[in-house]
Amino acid sequence: MEYLATIGVLIAIYVILSSSYDLIIGYGGLSTVAHPIFFAIGAYTAGLLAIHSSLPAPLNVILGGMAAMVASVLLAASALRVSGDYLLIASLGFQLGLLQLIKNLDFTGGPGGLTAIPGTVTGAARTPFFLVVSGLLAVATVLGIRAIVTGPYGRAITAMRDEELAFTALGRDATSMKIVIFAIGCGIAGTAGGVYAYYFQYISPDQFEVLQSAAILTMVVLGGMGTTFGPVVGAILLLAIPRAITFLNLPPSIMAPTQGIIFTVLVLLFLFLRPAGIVGLSRKTL
Amino acid sequence: MLYTTRRNVLGAATLASLNLPAILRAQGKEPIKIGSALPLTGSQAGYGKDFDTSMRMGAKDVNDAGGIAGRPVEIVALDTQAEPQLGINAANRFIEVEKLPMFFVSWSAVVKAVAPIANRDKVLALNNGANAPEIAHLGDYVYTTFPLADVDVTKLARYMYDTLGKRRAAVLYINNDTGIDAAKLYRDTFAKAGGTIVAFEAYDPKATEFTGMLLKTRAANPDTVHIHGLTADTPQVIAQMRQLGMAQRVTSYSAAYNPKILEQLGPAAEGLIVTSLAPGVNDNKNVQKLLDRWKAEQNRVPNGLPYDQYQYDMVWLTKALYEYLDKKSTPATGDTLKEALLTIKEFELPMTGKMIIDGHTVNKPVYLLTVEKGAFVPLATLT
Repeated sequence: MEYLATIGVLIAIYVILSSSYDLIIGYGGLSTVAHPIFFAIGAYTAGLLAIHSSLPAPLNVILGGMAAMVASVLLAASALRVSGDYLLIASLGFQLGLLQLIKNLDFTGGPGGLTAIPGTVTGAARTPFFLVVSGLLAVATVLGIRAIVTGPYGRAITAMRDEELAFTALGRDATSMKIVIFAIGCGIAGTAGGVYAYYFQYISPDQFEVLQSAAILTMVVLGGMGTTFGPVVGAILLLAIPRAITFLNLPPSIMAPTQGIIFTVLVLLFLFLRPAGIVGLSRKTL
Repeated sequence: MLYTTRRNVLGAATLASLNLPAILRAQGKEPIKIGSALPLTGSQAGYGKDFDTSMRMGAKDVNDAGGIAGRPVEIVALDTQAEPQLGINAANRFIEVEKLPMFFVSWSAVVKAVAPIANRDKVLALNNGANAPEIAHLGDYVYTTFPLADVDVTKLARYMYDTLGKRRAAVLYINNDTGIDAAKLYRDTFAKAGGTIVAFEAYDPKATEFTGMLLKTRAANPDTVHIHGLTADTPQVIAQMRQLGMAQRVTSYSAAYNPKILEQLGPAAEGLIVTSLAPGVNDNKNVQKLLDRWKAEQNRVPNGLPYDQYQYDMVWLTKALYEYLDKKSTPATGDTLKEALLTIKEFELPMTGKMIIDGHTVNKPVYLLTVEKGAFVPLATLT
């Protein structure tokens, strides 16, 4: 049961990550791959504060989210003057550069990572506690983003995404809107990073590399980009399927290729049969 | 050579029948599961899969010898891809689903990631392949059965200064937790012995081109170069060194004791000195049997033989721990297994010989090998 609860915590964290990423890339149309680095900023801020300060854990998590938000504004203020491919390259450079910095600083633990992050809750209640906290945060994130995108501001966001020239011709400030979307999405990712650091008590730069960007992007695309529940479905599928396959108890020589093949076939099938994402197409079908 | 004669067949049948009751007894009881978290897919799978094969060979031999306290052994191997997050998943599954009181884990980042879980759930996590010195300080339930970098690297640095008379060393290392701490150990030991570190250069784990770093090193004029990298990058660094006309004697650690390095480098590997933390075929006759078995069953030798010797031996170490508890009629928990590990302390293992658990570290002799005429040959044993 606790094993499932641990996977539940991880799924909840990735629902927060993929949903906040969908706000940026799906609704805002901002091509960025740097989402994991804001997750990392939140995780490292909360982890370092947990080790070196006596501040309460919730405050450290919030500060992690704020640090990510500040970093995202710094990136956005310069990078959002450009868009499309240039933004993609700028975000990638930001991610790789910051990861190099983390790897080469002693106080972050360098490439070996940050160990000995204190656990806030101990005993049998620990995992259920984190499951409830991360679950509530995931629900709040999904509903919060839904509230944003279905309201008047959301319509402005999609208008900006679909026709930026017309949007600015109407006197609206596209850049400030992009910065706000980017800051909200990255701030949420940073908060998820704080929860991650407290729950798993170990973080390393390798966990926030470009491969992580690809994983979160796949969750969003597979579930349905620009939909409320698409990233939720994508996160659940992409985290649950590989773990479920291990329960087939196949010999390692068969398990290793089988796991890769089954996973790849499933992703390709979904993308061929439902190119707009699982949730995206089902909405059309309805 | 053993010929198949009527007498040999009868002898073998008699021996088998004598041992048969033990085997049958072992098969009839609930198995003792040994958890093993390894990279079975991904970039490190070349090692991980071989480690798994060697551990299964150990399990087969233990089962053929009657199992552990009359119970058969079963290996539960879970893939980590050498990634912390998958390591966490494996540890949780061992503890929560398989209900194991102990498990084995390798690769430094994975060991660090699972340490909080082992400490929290009071389950014994035994490192049997990673060598980051920090592993000795990961908590009350994390121990190592594999010597950490401070064992072989320090002895190697002293050997280069004291025995081979090298005075100017360059240290090139991969910028991750495999390379950083070990490179610092080499640097500090060599300098403390009286030598001079003329270059201390890190390279990115994803780098494939090392010319800039090597030109800088060449200009520093070292008389030996220590490379602390992984199997993927070390041959490339050595090959590019030779292309740039650097003929200095190169040293590395146990990851470079690998037949693939000889295949990749050819004559450029000549003179390379590597460490091994397990006895070789000349030191322990069981090692040749393991190699022969690998050749017979897998048609090749394993990647990283010393590491495979440890994997094989871990089943025998588990046997010693469980049988200790069985004699005391004590149930196996993380606490009792830890107590058994620290009380027994000295283990005589078939492939790696005597292992002394010294708190959170293990001290072992270091076997140096060098490449001569395209093969690794023993150079020295450092105790």
